[in-house]
Amino acid sequence: MIDVCRRALSDFYRHRYLHGVCLFTIALSVFIISAFALFFINAGELMGAWQQGIRITAYLKPDVTKKQAAELATDIEQYAGVASVSYVSGKEGLAWLKEQLGAGSSLLSDLKENPLPDALEIHPAKNMAAMAGADRLAGKIAGFAEVSDVEYAREWMQRFYGIYNLFKVTAFVMAGLVFVAILFIVANTIRLILYSRREEIEITRIIGADEAFIKHPLYLEALMLGSFGGVAGLAMLYGAFFSLMPKLSPEGLLPFFQVRFLPLELVLAILISSMFVGWLGCYFSIRRFLRV
Amino acid sequence: MNAIDALDNQIIRFHGVTKHFGETYALRDLTFEVRKNDFLFITGPSGAGKSTLIKLLYMGERMSDGYAIIDGMNLARIGRRQIPQLRRKIGVIFQDFKLIANRTVFQNVALVMEVAGFKSRSVIRQRVEDLLELVGLPHQADAYPPTLSGGEKQRAAVARAMVGKPRIILADEPTASLDPDASERVLQLLRAAHARGATVLITTHDTRLLSRFDARVIYLESGRRVDGPAAAENVND
Repeated sequence: MIDVCRRALSDFYRHRYLHGVCLFTIALSVFIISAFALFFINAGELMGAWQQGIRITAYLKPDVTKKQAAELATDIEQYAGVASVSYVSGKEGLAWLKEQLGAGSSLLSDLKENPLPDALEIHPAKNMAAMAGADRLAGKIAGFAEVSDVEYAREWMQRFYGIYNLFKVTAFVMAGLVFVAILFIVANTIRLILYSRREEIEITRIIGADEAFIKHPLYLEALMLGSFGGVAGLAMLYGAFFSLMPKLSPEGLLPFFQVRFLPLELVLAILISSMFVGWLGCYFSIRRFLRV
Repeated sequence: MNAIDALDNQIIRFHGVTKHFGETYALRDLTFEVRKNDFLFITGPSGAGKSTLIKLLYMGERMSDGYAIIDGMNLARIGRRQIPQLRRKIGVIFQDFKLIANRTVFQNVALVMEVAGFKSRSVIRQRVEDLLELVGLPHQADAYPPTLSGGEKQRAAVARAMVGKPRIILADEPTASLDPDASERVLQLLRAAHARGATVLITTHDTRLLSRFDARVIYLESGRRVDGPAAAENVND
């Protein structure tokens, strides 16, 4: 193994220009795919942040007591896709409305009695499956005898869910296409390296080298290219991210949202994938050079 | 010498060997034997099949028909994994040298020992230095092949062919691209290898070369072996 490492390092140095080109290609590929991942992860989080404001309001009939409302809230809380249920009395509702209207709240001062009924505010769970089921949940809540009416941003939620689905499918398709393109580019770059070394490989075979003697250092070089390229690509992304971060920070373009770098697990997954792509590129290219 | 002794003494045996590339025949029904420690010339005009014969011997190509036995290995039945074992018994010298351009002369020669599984750097160093001394290239050990003259390249190639102490040395037109002095030096080295016990098989189209050696000659023409007066006449030309 030490001998294989020594030969791989020696070959790496001997063909440093071509290896440099290949390393840069892999680094650029990793940078592009990581940038995609960074965008999709943060866009997903941004959508999650918007989702937090979504709620279903169930207006209660006037004869429903506070105790009955509390029991109903407990029942509804047991439903799948429900994160929390809170009771809002008509009085609290009116106070909130006045606060929202601000200077215009004087319009409400002439009211002889509070027109707002008591209500339950249902917050769906913070996931897209719960959002998708909001319509069904609202239907169930409307079926309770204590509930007079149910209100929620149905159209908005449906549109939001549709956009999210489109976004998810696009992310998967794009990631797949970019991966295939990168595999193709890396395989061809490694093939270029092997092609430039075909005479050397041929001579080594003539003097009696077996396949392992030729293949093992090449695979090791490909793994090194993959890992160094992966590290370089992620370093480029890290540099770009932290130079652009101040412009996207809470004081910048997205004041309500904190943009995050890739999670550690994904960074490791990208590095391993990069090494795997290097190895796979080598595997596809090497076979044609070792045919008798 | 009885028949069994004769077989024991053979290191190469070709029987009815044919090689064709599609419709074109490079060798037809070729039969010959080479004894251990023979010094043999294969000659004939360009296109006679000399280089194809060398390729068949080191398994650069597979034969189309017939059989060939080299040092006990039947080339007609040899598996892919056995080919490196065969090649380690053979040192090959080419007209175009086939040295690896981005390795020094020392590294080119040492590669044979690395391939053969030698691990000790000091053993490799000693053996390579001895060989470079023998071929007169100790001062060029750290030079890269493109900086060498044709004669020096071929001597480096001879050192590479000899360093693994092969039982057979194949030389495909080793002097074709060299001047007379360089040619003479390379031939002396091949004689030295023969004196050390190797079987040497040289292909050449230069019939003047043959007159200077008391060696066995096989004459090929259009892929066939030609014996008798016709061959002698061609050789003497």
